[in-house]
Amino acid sequence: MNKENEEKLEVTVKSNTKDLFAFTKLVAERQKRIERASSEPITKDPINDLARKIHPDVQYLVIDEIKVETKSTKTFKLVPDPDSSTKELAIFRSGQYLSLKVKVNDVTITRPYSIASSPKDALNGFYELTIKKEEHGFLTSYIWDNWKVGAKIESSGPEGFFYYDPLRDFKHIVGIAGGSGITPFKSIALSIIEGNIDARLTVLYGSSDEDDIIYYDEFQALEKDYPDKFKFIHVLSCEVVSLEGCETGFITSDLIEKYCDVKTSSFFICGPQIMYNFLDNEMAKFELPPKKIRKEAFGEVKDVLSIPGYPQELAEKTFKITVHVGNYSKVIPAIATESILVALERANFAPPAKCRSGECGFCRSKLISGEVFISPISDWRRKADKKFNYFHPCSSYPTSDIEIVIPRTL
Amino acid sequence: MSENELDTIDDSYDVVIIGAGNGGLAATAFLAQKGLKVLMLEQHNLPGGVATSFVRGRFEFETSLHELASYGPESNKGSIRRMFEDMFQLDTEFVQVPEAYRLIVTHPEEKMDVSIPFGVENMIDAIEKEVPGSRESVRNFFRLAKEIGEAFSYIGSTGGNPDQTLLLKEHANFLKTAAYSAQEVEDALGIPKRAQDILNGYWAYLGLPISRINFTIYAAMVDNYADLGGWIPTNRSHGYTTAFDEKIREFGGRIEYNTRVDKILVENGKIVGVETVNGDKIKTSYVICNASPTLTYNKLISPKSEVPEIAYKDVNARIHGLTGFVIYVGLDASAEELGLNEYGYFIMDSMNTEEVYDSWTSLQPPEGLACVVLNNALPDCSPPGTCILDITTLFRPEAWENVKPEDYYNIKNEIAEKLLIKFEKATGAPIREHIEEIEIATPVTFARYTRHYKGIFYGYEPESWDSIVPRLMSMGKDVYIEGLEFAGGFNRRLHGYSSSMGDGLISAQLTYAKIMKEREKA
Repeated sequence: MNKENEEKLEVTVKSNTKDLFAFTKLVAERQKRIERASSEPITKDPINDLARKIHPDVQYLVIDEIKVETKSTKTFKLVPDPDSSTKELAIFRSGQYLSLKVKVNDVTITRPYSIASSPKDALNGFYELTIKKEEHGFLTSYIWDNWKVGAKIESSGPEGFFYYDPLRDFKHIVGIAGGSGITPFKSIALSIIEGNIDARLTVLYGSSDEDDIIYYDEFQALEKDYPDKFKFIHVLSCEVVSLEGCETGFITSDLIEKYCDVKTSSFFICGPQIMYNFLDNEMAKFELPPKKIRKEAFGEVKDVLSIPGYPQELAEKTFKITVHVGNYSKVIPAIATESILVALERANFAPPAKCRSGECGFCRSKLISGEVFISPISDWRRKADKKFNYFHPCSSYPTSDIEIVIPRTL
Repeated sequence: MSENELDTIDDSYDVVIIGAGNGGLAATAFLAQKGLKVLMLEQHNLPGGVATSFVRGRFEFETSLHELASYGPESNKGSIRRMFEDMFQLDTEFVQVPEAYRLIVTHPEEKMDVSIPFGVENMIDAIEKEVPGSRESVRNFFRLAKEIGEAFSYIGSTGGNPDQTLLLKEHANFLKTAAYSAQEVEDALGIPKRAQDILNGYWAYLGLPISRINFTIYAAMVDNYADLGGWIPTNRSHGYTTAFDEKIREFGGRIEYNTRVDKILVENGKIVGVETVNGDKIKTSYVICNASPTLTYNKLISPKSEVPEIAYKDVNARIHGLTGFVIYVGLDASAEELGLNEYGYFIMDSMNTEEVYDSWTSLQPPEGLACVVLNNALPDCSPPGTCILDITTLFRPEAWENVKPEDYYNIKNEIAEKLLIKFEKATGAPIREHIEEIEIATPVTFARYTRHYKGIFYGYEPESWDSIVPRLMSMGKDVYIEGLEFAGGFNRRLHGYSSSMGDGLISAQLTYAKIMKEREKA
């Protein structure tokens, strides 16, 4: 368009004089409104209050009761520590976990544990965590020795994405659990009874021995009281089985099909890494879309040598990590086959870390120099983080001496 | 004591920037590049504030950006592109989104479904096609918008003290419309109602009804998008905010994350330092605050006796804006399979914007949505056979004030389901059966991550008396504490990504000038 030929635009909204006058009054009007306004400070912010209730940075808890479940598992009932700022417990969605921060011989480590109790229990003032004592487990040995009634525990708010979503999932939940991976399903079952989840639950629960089964009686009772809602199938891998109505061997595709219509079910899988390796093959036979299979992050990779692509020749090595945090720097040793997060914790650093599976992003750190191996099964980095050399220490292993910047502790 | 706790930052800085949101990043980059000793403190473990991303399963979601204004093509760079490329040389990449928007109005008496392209002439043509006879009046809207843009630049260049005679001579149309709402001026231009509805498509980006929103800021925004297009970063907003982080460090600036400032220390009306919840005590005479004046005066300034009465009055006089609700969906079908061919969808029950705004004041189903199908601008943003859909609506925070924790998850799911159904009805795309990942952000989520007052992300509402013109012309008069500047969406340039970054730059320039003047004196 030829601008010069165009007639000059003349806009009038009310009248020429009024329009110009309105402009001259703008700043004065603003000034007047400010002068007339209240000078009372704002002291209330209910939205932030709600945010802090639902997502507290930290919850100070105390052990109220301990129940022995099996020879190697205990259930700890946790309530707000009356001597702390925690007065009520955060609500959660069944399947979520708490990240506990525990000081073991002056070294601070974190560990995620799925909540076994129900969201309603949280409103009534308690969480239950069922913990399995691991052979040679650094943390669980400490817990068995030191966690008595009255012991204080520091916890995160509820975290994690392993929960039933009515907008996404089918109304038949098929849980596949191994060992202590059963805990989130207890919470899910309770949510179904309490009316917070409108779905049926079938659980295929693998245990290595009869006396390793957790919640056996509770599940029997649930099945009896709500036959149209629950089905619990115990799958035992031991040689001698006396239990009636259980399956033996492993959780295979045939077994899964025997107990559910694969097409109209949503699968939730929680257990040790080794079970995932086996189930990946079994589930692949169904050719299901990814939306139908959800796996709980299983924590740190136990045996990085088994992860494809790991440079085996480094297995015996120890590297040096130059760590920077804020104004502070230190060089620490790191065993090649242990995650960088473990190396940091051994050296008494305490970076924020919740899932320990590469998923939550709290330990995100910057690699300044050197090389790391990132477990491809625990790699949830953002695209730009890959580009700019950020990594998650919980799912990364040094393959040379490295220099890193870790997050501060808020 | 852990090694982490051995780390404290007790040092002094020329300038401390509080918050690594859009405003904070731009301000810090500018000052670091100038060689000042600067420290930016951010409570979260990432830069960006709401300009970030997150990963669920196979998808990386954009948190809040729909499309960036003021970026523009290589041949017609906008101010943000000039800042990114020419000023800071950020290592980041942007692409243009394919069209301005598709506007779907579902009210039986207002039914409309129209795709609006970028380009002023293209927009005028598209509206003429839909509303024959609207061409001249709509063209006048854009001509006026251009003149307003020029007037903004002029006022900006005078530091908020324009020469009134020159304004009257060169920018008369701007002067004559600056005090009116978009509704009043569109009526005065004789734009037919239906053409107004199309032109008002972007209204939700500023978030107040057309009858209340100041005309000049609305027209400038529409013209900016029409002229320069809408642009998005290829690696989500986290891509450019992380590029800012890299650049700031390269310039010698310092950034600390997981570091929340809880006190801005003031003595005798002057900034003297900040303290963090981590226990850092930092000396400085200048703070650029990316947090809102509301939060700063009511919570951060210490001691409280140093907050002047006028500061409380200022904050209380303003109308606090909106917060939002976003459904992030990773779908296991491609956009093409679903029949979703556009990038941006505005889905409105009605273009009676007062009614839609009113629906955001309660927990009833919101009546206006702004949706993005990311793959239609970035085909590779998710794996083949999948796509990413964001559905955004707005809320007045008060709507959520009485929600109890035990009802929270049900309430958000119920609202989300209604919005998904609304989207399906409007577009015909079967979304719900293809949900692979879904995450929902509410006002509570925005409060959780930003700690902004009531989770608000839309700053103060720009009615005419508090729109960009009076704010710019009050510049300098609203500094109530010496050494304190604000930057970001609550400040003089109003909210939005580009405005916040542009504002950060202005605040940095003002602070830099003061420091240079002091040094000259010394």
